[in-house]
Amino acid sequence: MRRTSDIAIVGFAQTPSMRRAERSEVQLLVPTITEALQSAGVDRRDIGFTCAGSCDYLTGGPFAFVSNLEAAGAWPPISESHVEMDGAWALYEAWVRLQHGDIDTALVFGSGKSSPSRPSEVWPQQLDPYYLAPLGVDPVSLAGIQARALLDAGKATERDFAEVAVRSRRRAQSNPNAQVTADDDVEALLAAPYVSAPLRRHDLPPISDAAAAVVLARGDRARELCERPAWIRGLDHRIEVHQPGMRDLTTSPSTTLAARKAGFDGGPLDVAELSATFSPQELILRDALGLEESANVNPSGGPLAANPVMATGLIRIIEAASRVIAGDARRGLAHATGGQLLQHNLVCLLEGEE
Amino acid sequence: MSLTYEEPLTPNLERFADALMDGRLTGHKCPSCGRVYVPGRGYCPMCVVETTDADEVEVSDRGTLTGFTIVTPVQYYGQKETQPFVWASVLLDGANSTLGGQEISGIAHDEIRSGLRVKAVWRAPNERSTSDISNRGWGSVGGAIDSFEPTGEPDLPREKYEEHIF
Repeated sequence: MRRTSDIAIVGFAQTPSMRRAERSEVQLLVPTITEALQSAGVDRRDIGFTCAGSCDYLTGGPFAFVSNLEAAGAWPPISESHVEMDGAWALYEAWVRLQHGDIDTALVFGSGKSSPSRPSEVWPQQLDPYYLAPLGVDPVSLAGIQARALLDAGKATERDFAEVAVRSRRRAQSNPNAQVTADDDVEALLAAPYVSAPLRRHDLPPISDAAAAVVLARGDRARELCERPAWIRGLDHRIEVHQPGMRDLTTSPSTTLAARKAGFDGGPLDVAELSATFSPQELILRDALGLEESANVNPSGGPLAANPVMATGLIRIIEAASRVIAGDARRGLAHATGGQLLQHNLVCLLEGEE
Repeated sequence: MSLTYEEPLTPNLERFADALMDGRLTGHKCPSCGRVYVPGRGYCPMCVVETTDADEVEVSDRGTLTGFTIVTPVQYYGQKETQPFVWASVLLDGANSTLGGQEISGIAHDEIRSGLRVKAVWRAPNERSTSDISNRGWGSVGGAIDSFEPTGEPDLPREKYEEHIF
């Protein structure tokens, strides 16, 4: 969907990602939401709409998302919603809600603690219950199949995968919220054993706990709250068939379509933050978006440096928006993904005003 | 199909559990509104401010039954109860949040009523456990407190507890 109104990101906050957070998910959210509201200079009671993204399967608490809402302050009663999706989709819902025109601010948050559960048990549950879920096909196995498809198609090499990992971890060194940082040597990484052939440990994301929050504002209110708002010029998401066996895993047509519908014309980008959860996916996404070799992809380090599932996509938007707000970037693109192997993709195009 | 979850207690619940083993009930007092939550949550959901160990307070093990259900168990698969039992909310003196799911002893079911003054029946120190406390839900005291029984004091007037019936 193209912009039908002027809506911008005017504030944000995120916790550092960590392997195992001592705090509960709602305890991670309390200071994060407070900081996001403060960064925008908005009182929580003035927020017109609140939307959250999280997954109760991760925490293992039925209705854990209801507890999370306490971090936003639900008294006096607020207008709110929740998506069992990455916080990027919560941002999408809030963006749509703002276009009604009757409110001018919204709060969005995404949070996830992957540490209490076993990802290899939880994630097969999102697959079809007849053929794939009973096999226990987990994300690492699926990503191995996708990587193999890329190799077989002659579209990439294992060295290409390792180079993505090296770049991500190196760039993560300047990101205080990153979990995995390193200055690796490609040769050394390629000497490591396979985890899920042809993937090695460096091709996999870490298991992370974190939370993130964003404040959106419309029109003059955005200009009032932020010196240089990150305007959402376009925001769109597209989904592909659920059964991975029915897709060409080496491409991401839904990303291409979402980018086009969001108004991305292939023009210059100062930053692109992509939810490439496994290193081969960065190559697929670069291709799907038509990014140049020299494009500034994942300066934060991306999901290979921190992957708090359910906040990973929202953090991509924050990383792109923060550079626009700081004046370091004029035009940025953020990508979020859901489902298995880039099944569902969201593209957010951000711009600062000259 | 089963899913495995392992999570250490959050620091505030760890402290709550330790106190419970000592026979003490503790909570967090919000530095902004003064409401006391038992157990402490690490934040006040009304004010959205963080609370810490410095906000810890001890509350009484006496309180008021604010609401209850008498459950007649249906023998579905996994049901362990066979006799009707009480599921009550207790507002401890000094607290603003209720303890839910408490058993009530020492009184006939048809005499149980909201407003009833009750006190904790502690398990013997060597029989206490806090293994049923988890980060999910709102805390549990059942491993240390067997049940609540009437104190014999006059009932609390409705207006004193009607904001706490859940």
